[in-house]
Amino acid sequence: MGTENQGYPNFPARPPPPSSSSPFASAPPPGVPPQSGGFRPLSQPTRPFTPSGPPMAPPVGSMRPVQSPFVSQIPGSRPPPPPAYGGPPGGVGGGSFQRFPAPPPPPFPGAQNPPPSGPPATQTLAGHLSPFRPQQPMGPPPQTSGRPGGYASPPGPGFQQSSYSGVGGGPQPSFPGYPSNQVLQAPPPMPFQSSSQGPPSTYPPQTGGFPQHPGQQNLHPSYGPPTSNVQGLAEDFNSLSLSNIPGSLEPGLDPSSFPRPLDGDVVPKSFSEMYPMNCHSRYLRLTTSAIPSSQSLASRWHLPLGAVVCPLAEAPEGEEVPLVDFGSSGIIRCRRCRTYVNPYVEFTDSGRKWRCNICSLLNDVPGEYFSHLDATGRRMDMDQRPELTKGSVDFIAPTEYMVRPPVPPTYFFLIDVSFSATKSGMLEVAAQTIKSCLDNLPGYPRTQIGFITYDSTLHFYNLKSSLSQPQMMVVSDLDDIFIPLPDDLLVNLSESRSVVEAFLDSLPLMFQDNVNVESAFGPALRAAYMVMNQLGGKLLILQNSLPSLGAGRLKLRGDDPRVYGTDKEYALRVAEDNFYKQMAADCTKFQIGINVYAFSDKYTDIASLGTLAKYTGGQVYYYPGFQSSIHGDKLRHELARDLTRETAWESVMRIRCGKGIRSSSYHGNFMLRSTDLLALPAVDCDKAYAVQLALEETLLSTQTVYFQVALLYTASCGERRIRVHTAIAPVVTDLGEMYRQADTGAIVSVYARLAIEKTLSSKLDDARNVIQQKIVKALREYRNLHSVQHRLGSRLIYPESLKFLPLYGLAICKSTPLHGGPADASLDERCAAGFTMMALPVKKLLKLLYPSLYRVDEWLLKASVDHDDVKDVLRRLPLAAESLDSRGLYIYDDGFRLVLWFGRMLSPDIAKNLLGADFAAELSKVTLEEQENGISKKLMRLIKKVRENDPSYHPMCLLVRQGEQPREGFLLLRNLIEDQMGGSTGYVDWMLQLHRQVQQNA
Amino acid sequence: MVKMTLIARVTDGLPLAEGLDDGRDLPDSDMYKQQVKALFKNLSRGHNEASRMSVETGPYIFHYIIEGRVCYLTMCDRSYPKKLAFQYLEDLKNEFERVNGPNIETAARPYAFIKFDTFIQKTKKLYQDTRTQRNIAKLNDELYEVHQIMTRNVQEVLGVGEKLDQVCEMSSRLTSESRVYADKAKDLNRQALIRKWAPVAIVLGVVFLLFWVKNKLW
Repeated sequence: MGTENQGYPNFPARPPPPSSSSPFASAPPPGVPPQSGGFRPLSQPTRPFTPSGPPMAPPVGSMRPVQSPFVSQIPGSRPPPPPAYGGPPGGVGGGSFQRFPAPPPPPFPGAQNPPPSGPPATQTLAGHLSPFRPQQPMGPPPQTSGRPGGYASPPGPGFQQSSYSGVGGGPQPSFPGYPSNQVLQAPPPMPFQSSSQGPPSTYPPQTGGFPQHPGQQNLHPSYGPPTSNVQGLAEDFNSLSLSNIPGSLEPGLDPSSFPRPLDGDVVPKSFSEMYPMNCHSRYLRLTTSAIPSSQSLASRWHLPLGAVVCPLAEAPEGEEVPLVDFGSSGIIRCRRCRTYVNPYVEFTDSGRKWRCNICSLLNDVPGEYFSHLDATGRRMDMDQRPELTKGSVDFIAPTEYMVRPPVPPTYFFLIDVSFSATKSGMLEVAAQTIKSCLDNLPGYPRTQIGFITYDSTLHFYNLKSSLSQPQMMVVSDLDDIFIPLPDDLLVNLSESRSVVEAFLDSLPLMFQDNVNVESAFGPALRAAYMVMNQLGGKLLILQNSLPSLGAGRLKLRGDDPRVYGTDKEYALRVAEDNFYKQMAADCTKFQIGINVYAFSDKYTDIASLGTLAKYTGGQVYYYPGFQSSIHGDKLRHELARDLTRETAWESVMRIRCGKGIRSSSYHGNFMLRSTDLLALPAVDCDKAYAVQLALEETLLSTQTVYFQVALLYTASCGERRIRVHTAIAPVVTDLGEMYRQADTGAIVSVYARLAIEKTLSSKLDDARNVIQQKIVKALREYRNLHSVQHRLGSRLIYPESLKFLPLYGLAICKSTPLHGGPADASLDERCAAGFTMMALPVKKLLKLLYPSLYRVDEWLLKASVDHDDVKDVLRRLPLAAESLDSRGLYIYDDGFRLVLWFGRMLSPDIAKNLLGADFAAELSKVTLEEQENGISKKLMRLIKKVRENDPSYHPMCLLVRQGEQPREGFLLLRNLIEDQMGGSTGYVDWMLQLHRQVQQNA
Repeated sequence: MVKMTLIARVTDGLPLAEGLDDGRDLPDSDMYKQQVKALFKNLSRGHNEASRMSVETGPYIFHYIIEGRVCYLTMCDRSYPKKLAFQYLEDLKNEFERVNGPNIETAARPYAFIKFDTFIQKTKKLYQDTRTQRNIAKLNDELYEVHQIMTRNVQEVLGVGEKLDQVCEMSSRLTSESRVYADKAKDLNRQALIRKWAPVAIVLGVVFLLFWVKNKLW
């Protein structure tokens, strides 16, 4: 006994297993009266239990101690699990409990029950249900695994009892089990008796050990009971019958049964419920919420192991990130790994020390931050400390985090004023928009603003506040750029407001007769850099044609069709001139973030221009063939959004991971300053970054892994802040669990970025194949996991959590940067879409990959209440041609544009009502405007709502009539990704392909 | 010419505001900023004497005034008239107290009044050129007297603190080492005692033991 007790102290140190204990007592099996439940089995397998009867009789009180040894048994028995598992089925249920960590036995009831006898069968069930359970308890939340599998097993008298006997048996073998592995023997009465004598003396220490946990327990107050196991089993995998042989369409193949993400992006819920103190999924999404425990397991998980981080995601009203000021005590961080204090740190030594959750170093609590602990080990002031209760906080940074005083928000415009810019009306729209945004630029009254315009020469503007009109200075020496004026090119907006307004008013007029078609882009960029490099800030480039003069001159590429399809094809998609990368590097160094707006209808080499945005954390806006009448609205909204959204300046981001894990690569628009420090001169809510993780050690010894994203930035109001997001994820030993906890959205996001990066170094075909191969590998592994005990035949099986993965994979292959061949999309379009997709947050990306399609004509005619939400009234349709009815009116929305598709047989009334007089005209020339009737108003309201739902981009409204080629194909048909178009595969064929490849060498 | 301007709280050296794009065209502005920080630290430790002081550093000179527990400091060329520099600081002080007066003590985060930089910027421009009518008038203003203001060298000023620190450190080292010495001496003493008496004690012990054994056996 004494030795057993010595084992206990270990138990509190381990976070998860205790979980099993408390619910065991508190949550009796369904259908069994709670109190006596524990004792019912006593009457069942009489022989072993009887002796224990009397001492155990006092109800729950004694029951509780019993379970504790059973729990403690688990950690004790961890090392030697496999032998225990294979033991004779006669082994008591308790034996099966020990096997929590047993090698992942496939979790299907009845799939693997070797023994025919009743009770043992359920015991094995319990035993092999357990493999899930231990994963759930991985984290601190204790309640979960307590429900031994038996509880959830299918109801039925035999089941209940026997499963219970399994549980009841738990305690007894645990005692003999301690010294050795004899658990497997049928429980002799002897040890049990000893156990019944034991309680008074033995158990107190355990129960005493238990209270050490509550600290953790309290951390998860809202943790709810898990869903029943039966359900879990049912959902464990899905299968699709793909029994037909390709080529012969059997009736069994039903495309409509294929999974489709018609509800949009669904964030896995269970994870956030399990760890309510994790940061919200809008900030950090792991590709799987179960981290593999070993490298070998990680390598079997063929999907990416990583996360998508959107540090500044917009929070809905009421959920803003709390701001924490530590004042003079400074920010509490771990001495060794520099982790910020977060809800998962543990306070010990009556509040004088805290243990870092990432490197488990014991740190001192500074005097100012000290607080007493209450009886449960919780800090008394917990409720007043958001950093200890919330996964996301903003810390106010003290002087040590500043290299210089916080800079004012700076906006600098580099505007192309050549012939095409004025002709297309871009200049006018841009000037108007900038003027209208002057009031809303963040950071009043410190905001700085400046302008340079250029064609074949550079024009600087003196905006000194004492002037009444701006002064223009022309520099025509492009080889040796100099700044004509030391100050006043970049001015304080609130002081020079009138001059800036005068300038913007006169800008379109000044150049309206400009016939210059040259573009001295490179020199202008360099000049802007020279003006800005003192302060940094945001540089907005409005470029209208191919840079043709001075440094950074670009030449026409991609007009040689012979290059396509060869190994040199990728070179077209990367910057040709090193000038751009060099400039981007210099700009990042001086905290200049660049956003590129490109307007040309001709080739402008976005691949090169976009490099500027890519390495400075900016983004690319592309308006091919800009016409102010068509694209004006879009530019107006997007430019306004860019100027007025909350932006974080001169920021750096670092992602810290728990011991044994490190970030191996980053994907997105940024510059790496050191191996794991992302430099982001200007970052805002519409930017997301993907990170891939790798295991550093062959075996993770911890039960959980922590992630902490820290973004150090200057807010527009002039405060230096650190935004910290913390998340925890359990470490698992079971591949099945990893699949169960997978997050399709994050996986697709990482895949899309990988694929786009792949196109920069190889052919499009290769990039598409890579995606396909990755999905195939993952599905094959999953199949292997389950095919042993199931005769799956020719069914394609996939985890419930990944049911949309194949479709999104197809969507990635058909997305603008990757789809088709050279003829299907212009080079610029591809590159622009690539740069955009590299920065998109998960939700937005999924919408772009699988856009929504609604039928609206019926809804428009119905006189319904108007205030209902888009999602409630309209049903999303699969993106296939079958969804389109020629009598209907459809809206296609991918977040970047809205396409209104008018069926050929649509009632003319609707068309007339919507389009007014010119309803019969060619729709490419018609813009949708509100008409004086209910239907039109209703539709406009709907469109407005769609736009408001996601303000990051302004979806432009395009109209197309059925059969109007080639517009229809280009706008809509090509985007019906489930259909077979040209050389690309449809959804059905894609699934068949996947299936065939999965089965090959399966 | 005014090169840079900083405003800090004297009590704890917390920077409150700083001129915008200070240090432009200044090759080693970082070094001077370090010096300013060291100076502020010195001030917060109470090493200051005068509320107005000029401190020479390389080709430049720091001028500062301390008023209402706030230090206004500027760095100028040596050739820049002292009178103008102090009037510039005086201007800043008046405006700063007017705008932020009540909040100075409660400010917790660094650069809490960074918005003041626009005023600094504006005022700086007024003082940039010494030959404007306005500035000449100020120079000739006999009422504003700056001759008494002490001028010292930066090494000297920073050195005072450093030397004091050194002395402090040395004395503390001395105390701790003497304590160690005392402990060691005691220890040695004890050892000597043991060495001296141990053989005797052992011999006696053996003898007694023998006696006892003998008595027992017999």
